[in-house]
Amino acid sequence: MKPPEPITTTKDSRQRFRSDETKTLALNDPVAWLKRITVAGDACAWNRFVGGVLLALVVLLFLSGAFLAFYYSPVPGAAYDSVDFTLFSAPFGSILKGVHHYAWNLLLVLAIFHLARTFVAGAYRKPRQLTWISGVAILGLLPLFIITGDLLPWDQRGYWSTQVRMSIIASIPFAGDMAVRILQGGALTGIVALTRFYVLHILFLPCLLALLLAVHFYFVARHGFAERLNGKQAADHPIAFFPRVVNRWLVLFIVTVSLIALLTYYWPPPLGDPADPTDSTYVPKPEWWVLFLNQLVAIFKGKWAILGTAVIPGLLTLFLVGLPYLDRSPGNRPAQRKTVIVVAALLAAVMIVLSLMGYFEHFGLPRQ
Amino acid sequence: MHRQSIKRIYGMVLLMLFAVLLMSGTVLGASKQVLEAAKVKAAPAGLDDAIWNEATAIQVPFEGKESFAGQKASVATKAVYTDEAVYFLFKWKDPTLSVVKGAWQFDGEKWSHQKGNEDRISLLFEINRINNFATKGCAIVCHVPQGAPNAKDGKFGTTTAAEKGDLWHWKAARSDPAGVADDTWLTQISDKEGGRKSDAGKGGDQKNMTEDKSAPKYMLAPGKSLAKNDILLAAHSVEIPAGTVFKAGDMLTYRMPKTAEGSRGDIKAESRYAGGGWTVMLHRSLDTGNEDDVAFNTRRKYNFAMALFDDSGDENSYDSEVLTLEFK
Repeated sequence: MKPPEPITTTKDSRQRFRSDETKTLALNDPVAWLKRITVAGDACAWNRFVGGVLLALVVLLFLSGAFLAFYYSPVPGAAYDSVDFTLFSAPFGSILKGVHHYAWNLLLVLAIFHLARTFVAGAYRKPRQLTWISGVAILGLLPLFIITGDLLPWDQRGYWSTQVRMSIIASIPFAGDMAVRILQGGALTGIVALTRFYVLHILFLPCLLALLLAVHFYFVARHGFAERLNGKQAADHPIAFFPRVVNRWLVLFIVTVSLIALLTYYWPPPLGDPADPTDSTYVPKPEWWVLFLNQLVAIFKGKWAILGTAVIPGLLTLFLVGLPYLDRSPGNRPAQRKTVIVVAALLAAVMIVLSLMGYFEHFGLPRQ
Repeated sequence: MHRQSIKRIYGMVLLMLFAVLLMSGTVLGASKQVLEAAKVKAAPAGLDDAIWNEATAIQVPFEGKESFAGQKASVATKAVYTDEAVYFLFKWKDPTLSVVKGAWQFDGEKWSHQKGNEDRISLLFEINRINNFATKGCAIVCHVPQGAPNAKDGKFGTTTAAEKGDLWHWKAARSDPAGVADDTWLTQISDKEGGRKSDAGKGGDQKNMTEDKSAPKYMLAPGKSLAKNDILLAAHSVEIPAGTVFKAGDMLTYRMPKTAEGSRGDIKAESRYAGGGWTVMLHRSLDTGNEDDVAFNTRRKYNFAMALFDDSGDENSYDSEVLTLEFK
């Protein structure tokens, strides 16, 4: 057998090394590359901070989730104990769990707001169709994080909410039962389901979200910002991505973390009773973001159930995705898109009314 | 769009955001009775301290079991806490004061046990999570069905050693005169012994009887006095000297409360029987540092269940549903 050749350094490699030594940081090249990137001046406008906060929240969720995973055990029973330990015994565990909990809710609210603002500004129209569609895909992905994450603490709310969701999914003709079996790994919500939800929550969904975010940012960078809501053109003077935009994101990140940490300090994240699959008396109440869908399921029953579980949500999704191609209005200003604005306002009104109906049904009328 | 309108929209969105975030912090679907412990600056000085007005009372319903089946009871319950300790106040109707607990009575010739038991109230918390205690309460540890793994040798215990309960047991005759509630804990029932254990230290009661069990062995020591409800404390007793003469109708305590020490004496008690009902206050350090006690963290919630005994033994009780203790 031929002996391995000794490692030698060539004259070129030694020269390159000496040349590197003269640099102050090994990161100089990437930093210089970042400095050469310019973006539209509106990237730092304070009335366009929602996208930056959303990015800050995603980073925050990834980081807090990674730390929570250090303590988490995806086994029924032990899962609850591990979350309980994280909340009440682990150093800063309550803050981490709270940040993770509230950041999701904040992310969902702001993502809806971001979508609404983009819609009002007409920023889904040519040439930004794919920016819009990737944004809708991101928004559609967020509930999956919540659905898979809800089960992880293995508490009553998460367990029974999952049962309700699985029964809704199972009611979808043809694919429902198979989808439930794939998600749960069987007919019951047990250790296999918990493991699958955990892997989806910490691996597959984050990868998909990162990919969609990359696509979204690519199209934002490629097509720029839309007109401002006040009708003025976006600032066209370019600014440096680094450090100006990055610094702005850091400021938003720090402010967001601080506010959520304060919130979680005064209102700790909830952890219900441990899941008891034999306790059929427990009636889970829908969370705020799913109230209108839940109400659809309550309205359409029997042979019409498919309308509430699949048809209407599906049509709504199709409407959002196809909007850039459905809207034939003459201009981007709201006044030039009256038909689309009225249709969207009606849809929003129906969703709000359904949500209010759901709220009153599950939480009662406000006290006089 | 007008600048003012945009600002108003942003303002409304921020308000909605805050409301939604607060709403997301609540546990949805829970329907258990919640006992809210109010934070107070100073510990209650007694049963009638005005500081109890700072806590909201809840009426906890109890269902009768065994010989009390079909009957109901109710206990008004309050809780307050300071930086160091938690205090509970219980009030319930009971037309009869029961503190006999088999006390001796002399008929002029011989001693015999009087008929009668004692009034009691007990609380069970989780030290470590007891599987399904949060939803089933005492049913999971106190009254398990025949054939269940923890039904052997008594009816009180957990299924695994990892599950541990903290049992606070106030007894009108056997612990209250010593100023404590008996502090015990619950673990796995084995084939050979029950799951109920005494906390480390000393306490409980001492049986006052001769070796042949025919008569009391102890009487009140000179210079000492009987405790509440004329109960003879073990610490105040002395062996009955030979030649002591008793007259017909004389009575002596059979179960003499012992002075509680160590972890077993963690739960202090104060009580009063008046107007056809009991008022009982129990208090304990939030965290005793003992492994056989639940450590209260005021940021979390605790499941607990209660049982009421009206002149009855362990098998005949009124049981509550499981409740939640929250520190406000």
